[in-house]
Amino acid sequence: MKLTFVNGSPRGVSSNTGKLMEHFINGFLETQGNSVETFYMIKERPGFESIINAVSPAETVLLGFPLYVDAMPGSVKEFIEALAALKGKLPGLKMMFLVQNGFPETCHNRYVERYCEKLTHRLGFTYGGAICKGGCEGLSVQPPVLVDKVFRLFNEIGRAFGQTGNLDNAMLVKLAHPEHVKAENIKQVAQMVNGFLWDQWMKKNGVEHLSFAKPYGEDL
Amino acid sequence: MKVLILNGSNGSPGLDAVIDGLKSGMKERNIETTELKLNEMKYSPCRGCFNCWVKTPGTCVFRDDGDILCRELIKSDMVIAAAPLILGYPAATVKNALDRIIPLIHPYIEEVDGEAHHRKRYNKYPAMAFMLEKESDTDAEDIEIVKDIFTRAAINLRSRLAFIKYTDEGIKGVLDEINIC
Repeated sequence: MKLTFVNGSPRGVSSNTGKLMEHFINGFLETQGNSVETFYMIKERPGFESIINAVSPAETVLLGFPLYVDAMPGSVKEFIEALAALKGKLPGLKMMFLVQNGFPETCHNRYVERYCEKLTHRLGFTYGGAICKGGCEGLSVQPPVLVDKVFRLFNEIGRAFGQTGNLDNAMLVKLAHPEHVKAENIKQVAQMVNGFLWDQWMKKNGVEHLSFAKPYGEDL
Repeated sequence: MKVLILNGSNGSPGLDAVIDGLKSGMKERNIETTELKLNEMKYSPCRGCFNCWVKTPGTCVFRDDGDILCRELIKSDMVIAAAPLILGYPAATVKNALDRIIPLIHPYIEEVDGEAHHRKRYNKYPAMAFMLEKESDTDAEDIEIVKDIFTRAAINLRSRLAFIKYTDEGIKGVLDEINIC
């Protein structure tokens, strides 16, 4: 089986989307004969010709992206608009998605997930499902035991996909945990994320005193 | 009342006529209106570098028209994004503009109605509204998906969704909604 992976992260090679997919791909490649071709969406703007040309003969395309303002990044929407050229032409093409977000919960992804499914039908492709995962910002400052668990699940989902050609729903549900986080736990997580990720990052840049700056004024 | 129109029209005559109608209707009602024609502006897509949160807090490091988007948006009471739906979601020019206003919010997360969302940077944010043009195959499910996504986007931009209207509904209802808001 051949998988065409379109990394839709505007960060390109240094993206969390890529870090997660690396484990999926390793699992996928365990099945003999499987192969992967990866494209970085951000390098192919604005025409996306090489991706469109690669998608046409492809069996399975996985488009992965981070959640930006509750949907796909604007640059991914540009790519989606370029896919209109293939509308109705590739009924056998299986399209899958990976949506990851930086909040602690996966529930934020469920709205654009519905969009992804509808889009696939609109383009006349076959919908292969979406891998959804929250808590993906600051992977480098999260406890390694948690990050390893997420990577392991991506590996398992990729391996199963490599064997069956389908995303395993039970594994997707397991990966998506926590779908929601209790209010009191959000407060705890927020304290950690705000302190260990954002404050530290600002401190490193020497701008922690400007954290709440309002450069556009309040009463312009 | 200050209204900002983010004009993301791709030149569709129907949508342009509705935008013109909105502008003159608002003028008659003495609503202060600013229009930004997105296709005439130059702004890169957000690259997710977070420098607007951790390096130059509150401002994007790109020196382009994204600065105008932020400046105009935060001083408005309502933002109306006008655009065609393309494959079931507003045109990429509009999404790229929305992605570029994240300097206006703060990176911290906090609990809002049982979910994690970003914290405010400013005291007040404009209400969000949309004037969209349907595609020939737009159905009730598309309309529901777009409404749900922007209801949530408004929460994350610490705003609220005032309305989503479609060009085939005419403009009278929109002008009444703006007056109420």
